[in-house]
Amino acid sequence: MSSTPVKKQKMTLEQFKLKSEWLVYFLPFFIGVLIFTLYPIVNVFLTSFKVDFNYITKEFSGWGLDNYKYVLSDPYFHQALKNTFGYVFVVIPISTCLAILIATLLNQKIKLSGLFQTAYFVPMVTSTIAVGFSWRFMFSHNYGIINYLLGFFNIAPINWLGDPANNFYALCIYGIWAILPFTIILLLSGLQNIDPMYYTAAKVDGAGPIRIFFRVTIPLLLPTIFMVIMVNTISCFKVFNELFPLFQGAGVANNLYTVVYYIYYQFRVLVPAQYGYATAAALILFIIIFIATMFQRFVEKKINN
Amino acid sequence: MKVTIKNLTKRFSDMTAVNDFSAVIESGELIALLGPSGCGKSTMLNMISGILAPTEGKIFFDDEDVTDLSPEKRGVGLVFQNYALYPHMTVLENICFPLEIKKVPKEERIARAKEMAKLVHVDTMLDRKPGQMSGGQQQRVAIARALVKQPRILLLDEPLSNLDARLRIEMREEIRRIQQETGVTTIFVTHDQEEAMSISDHIVLMKDGFLQQYAKPQELYDEPANCFVADFLGNPPINKANGVIKNGKIVLEGDCEVELEAAKNIAEGREVTLSMRAEAIIVGEAEKACVGTVEEVYVMGKEVLAYVSLGTTKVRAYIDAEKTFDKGQTVNIGLKKRGVFVFDKETGERLA
Repeated sequence: MSSTPVKKQKMTLEQFKLKSEWLVYFLPFFIGVLIFTLYPIVNVFLTSFKVDFNYITKEFSGWGLDNYKYVLSDPYFHQALKNTFGYVFVVIPISTCLAILIATLLNQKIKLSGLFQTAYFVPMVTSTIAVGFSWRFMFSHNYGIINYLLGFFNIAPINWLGDPANNFYALCIYGIWAILPFTIILLLSGLQNIDPMYYTAAKVDGAGPIRIFFRVTIPLLLPTIFMVIMVNTISCFKVFNELFPLFQGAGVANNLYTVVYYIYYQFRVLVPAQYGYATAAALILFIIIFIATMFQRFVEKKINN
Repeated sequence: MKVTIKNLTKRFSDMTAVNDFSAVIESGELIALLGPSGCGKSTMLNMISGILAPTEGKIFFDDEDVTDLSPEKRGVGLVFQNYALYPHMTVLENICFPLEIKKVPKEERIARAKEMAKLVHVDTMLDRKPGQMSGGQQQRVAIARALVKQPRILLLDEPLSNLDARLRIEMREEIRRIQQETGVTTIFVTHDQEEAMSISDHIVLMKDGFLQQYAKPQELYDEPANCFVADFLGNPPINKANGVIKNGKIVLEGDCEVELEAAKNIAEGREVTLSMRAEAIIVGEAEKACVGTVEEVYVMGKEVLAYVSLGTTKVRAYIDAEKTFDKGQTVNIGLKKRGVFVFDKETGERLA
């Protein structure tokens, strides 16, 4: 080693430019994340623990779990939980099964399959709200096409939107329709990734189409199916948009609260806005989705072994 | 089981993959379908298995016409190039699958699958998934799966092409052993002449959809039917020199006269190709067929390879390790009877 003492040199401008180059790439993105993602999340988290928080004056009387206590004992929140879970448990299985079926059919080499693929993709590029209004017409009690079609099976017209008892089903039907295209597209790409030699191998051994579907196609598609279920479950837990075109709110008799609608109600409909309750409900929803996702990962790992 | 193929033709929209192919494959033999890529050998295999329907012609298994039968009704066992083992099933489940389809009772199918696994030496890894096995092991499982339903014929599509060099030699001997133990008529597709030469009873050599020669490996090497067959087999590749017949001799390009007994029966003035295997050329002394010049000598372990020019053509010849030659030295060249052929230059037809 050289014996000359290390001189503390002043950094030249050139050196500074070189050393700080990474900041130029890093900061623009990071500042965006900081302001629009991290700050809101932390703020929601903190706000949910502030008692008697006033949004205008930013005053609060102290830290505590009062917001959670209120939300968890609110009958409307109970209704919201019931409706949200109900929605997830109805929409996910039905939409997944339908999507697998349709994707499998679309994957066959049939005439016009390109046209069908486009047709199924259309709902994805249209606005939920705009198409929702045409669904309003389709659900119409007296003039809707749905009741008209049901008439062929001798089913009396159902008051989908006007009768609170039917609101939930109308929401689910619409929700399934809205979620299908995205699901079909993902499953279709999963199906197209399956090497056709597996089908040939099974055919040479004499397997019929149904056996091939259940013993070869489905197991090989399973990773995509799990992914689709996970993504859709998360989005279904956040059901909210779908309520507006159909009901302009939480059903015709305030009977269709969902968790996100409850959050919206607390800080947007109520005066004064109850930010404390809204953020507490948001965190509860976050925990529910987190647990649901972890559970799915667990099941997926179990099945893979 | 004997396979008879009669005038089989397969045309795709713009090309003919197999052209008027006829052959009889004897029961219990191991047959190699050999040829360069695009020669129609895989199409041939797919037609025998029933995956592809022929455009014309017929296929018989023994005396039964199977031309219009689907693969499962023909009773063929097929091993795919990439094995096509189901990745979500264990080895045992994979081997059991064909029996499951045939609705064989569970106990019997497990017993038969285990027996097959033993035959191909994978009986210690029945619970593994294909992803946890090497290429060679997957190949064994694929063979077991094809054999477990006791097919009338076993078909293998490029069975060794996905394996590394050492494993390839091991597996080709394994295929031979398994075939002999089960006695099942087996056809395998390959583009590797060495592979085909080393294990098969007969070789079907194809080019551009046409059958070139169907013979025993040694016969194919010693008595090629045409120039292509002679070119395709052998390593190093056979030496070729173009020439014309004059006064019962072959005059190669560059005025090199070659005296050859066989050339005396060929019409005067005919343009020919003289093909000589490297081991059929004797450099120095011996009885003289022609005169050449030594260009280059390479010592490669036990063998010494010389490049000798005959007229303007350079040929490779094995030489005796004890003899030494200088560069540029003029030497007498002798030609052995075995391994020297004369073909028509244009058609490649064998003349002598």
